[in-house]
Amino acid sequence: MSGRFIGLGGWHDSAVAGVTAVLLLTLAACSGGSSSTGTSGSTGVTTTTPTPVNNVQPVIMDYGPLVNGQYVGFNNVLYTTVTICVPGTTTCQSIDHVLVDTGSTGLRIPASLVTLNLPFMTDASNNPIGNCVQYADTTYQWGPIVKVDVQMAGEVASSVPIQIAGPTNFAAVPASCSAGGTPAQTVTDLGANGLLGVGLFRQDCGSACAVGTPRAVYFTCPASGCVATSVSLTAQLQNPVWLFPQDNNGLSIILPQVGATGAVSLSGSMIFGIGTQTDNALGGAQAQAADDVGTFTTTFNGIAYPGSFIDSGSDGYFFLNSTITGLPNCASNSDADGFYCPTSPVSFTAINTGPNPKGSGVAVSTNVAFSIANALPLIDSTSVVFNNIGGPNPGSFDWGLPFFLGRTVFIGIEGQSSSAGTGPYWAY
Amino acid sequence: MESVETDQSKFHAKRAVLERPDYTVHEITGDDGTLIREYVTPAGKVFGVSWTGPTIPDLTQLLGTYNAEFQSSVRSKRVRRSAVAVHNADLVVESSGHMRAFHGRAYLNSMLPNGVTEDVVQ
Repeated sequence: MSGRFIGLGGWHDSAVAGVTAVLLLTLAACSGGSSSTGTSGSTGVTTTTPTPVNNVQPVIMDYGPLVNGQYVGFNNVLYTTVTICVPGTTTCQSIDHVLVDTGSTGLRIPASLVTLNLPFMTDASNNPIGNCVQYADTTYQWGPIVKVDVQMAGEVASSVPIQIAGPTNFAAVPASCSAGGTPAQTVTDLGANGLLGVGLFRQDCGSACAVGTPRAVYFTCPASGCVATSVSLTAQLQNPVWLFPQDNNGLSIILPQVGATGAVSLSGSMIFGIGTQTDNALGGAQAQAADDVGTFTTTFNGIAYPGSFIDSGSDGYFFLNSTITGLPNCASNSDADGFYCPTSPVSFTAINTGPNPKGSGVAVSTNVAFSIANALPLIDSTSVVFNNIGGPNPGSFDWGLPFFLGRTVFIGIEGQSSSAGTGPYWAY
Repeated sequence: MESVETDQSKFHAKRAVLERPDYTVHEITGDDGTLIREYVTPAGKVFGVSWTGPTIPDLTQLLGTYNAEFQSSVRSKRVRRSAVAVHNADLVVESSGHMRAFHGRAYLNSMLPNGVTEDVVQ
C-alpha cells in the first residue's frame, strides 16, 4: 500500500475546501536506499573458456506486426524475434516484432500471444506476484510473472522471470500501478508483440524493490486484492542478456543511417557481449557511466540538463521545450502532435557527460550532432524510420531511436565488466 | 491545515512549507524517493503540482477530476510510452521519464497568481 499518494480529493477540490497540501505518502518503513550497482561484482569467474556461440541477433524496423490483416506498428520502432521456452524443455514459441527497448528491463509479452503453459510465480504465501511497469505517457502494463528460457541468436538465458501483460485470469490492476493512467498492453496498443527491455540494469527495479518501502512495481496478490511488496532480486524481471552463460556483460545495437525523408524499413544487429568475441570490440567508442536510475547529464547551449537518458523505445529526439529550442510545436490536432514542426530542418549539437566507468573520476564528454525537421510530412509519409523527428521533453533529453541510427551503441549492464569499465554505462 | 498535519503524522510523510512572495510551496517527501510539490495561492488554492520519483504518483489523487481531461487528451494521441505534454486552454500537464525515474508537472493557467508564471511549477 505504500508508494501511493493519498489526497483529499485532488488539487482542485482542495482549493474549494480551502485545504491546501492534501497529498501524502503512505510510508510504512525506513528507506531501502537507492539501487545498488556493482556490489556483487561480475557474474562469476569461470575457469574454462566457453565455446563461442552466435551472438548476433537480427533487428529490423518496419511496419510492425499484423493484426487482422492490418499493420499496427508505429514510427521508429526497433523489433526483434524472441524465442521463449518452458524452462529446460524444447517446448518453445517464437515471437516476432518484439520491441527492443533500452529504456526498460525485462521481457513483457501480451497474454494473448502466449501459447506455452506457464505457471504464475508465487511468493512464500503461495500468492501470485504481480508486476507493474509505468511509462511516461501514463500508460502501464500489469500482469503475473512466469519463468521461461529466453533464446536469441545462439544465446540462452535459463528460467528468466518475464511479465505476461494483461491476462484476463489475473488480479485487477492496483490503483498505485495504474496511477490514473491507461493500460497499453495489447499488440495494437503497443505496436509490437511485446517489449524486450535490454537496458542498463540487471533487474527492472533492483534492490529498491528487494528491501525497504515497497514500490508500486511488485505486488502480492491474494484473493483479497494486490498489495505492494518487496521481492528478491532473483524473482524480479531480468535483463536476459546478463543471464546468458557468456557474452553477458552487455550488448550493442548497430543500425545504418537513413536519409532526410526516412526509410520504409531497416535492418541491423543486436550483438551480445562487449569485447567478448571478435565481433563486439569497443573500438573507439567512448564509454560514459550512467547513474543508478539510468540517467546522465546533457549540456545544451551551455546549460546542463541532468536526468537525460538514451532510450531505443522512444520514437524521436525528445528534448526541452519550444521556448529553449526555438522549434515550434506541431499542431495539437495534427498527426504530428507531440513533435516539433520547424518550417525547415534545424541542426543542433549537445554534449553528453558521464563519469568514466573505469572509476577514474574523470568525466567523459561526447558531442552529439542531430537535426530536427518538420515531423508532420514525415509522419504522414510512407516511411517509418526517421533520424530527424523530435519533440518536447521539458527539463531533459530523451535520446530516442534516431540516436541509434548510423551508430554502434554499447550498453554496459550494471555490475558487469568489460575493457570500458563496469556498468551501468553507455559507449558510442 | 489540521487535517494535513493529521494525515502527515498518520502516514509518516515529511512535509516542508516554503513561503514565496506570491505563493506557497508544500513539499511532500516519501522515503521511496518520491517528491511532490504543491503550489498554493495566498487564498489557499492549489494552482500547480509537480512530481519526481521512481514511479508515477496516482494522478487521480494528484489531479482530481482534471486527470480525466488529461487522460482524454493523452488518449487522443497515439500511445508512444515516451514523454507527453497536454497544453489545453486552462490545463497543462507534462509527464516524462522512464522506469526508475519519472517527473512531471501540472498547472491551471486560470489559477496562476498575479505576477506568477508557470515557470515556478517545477
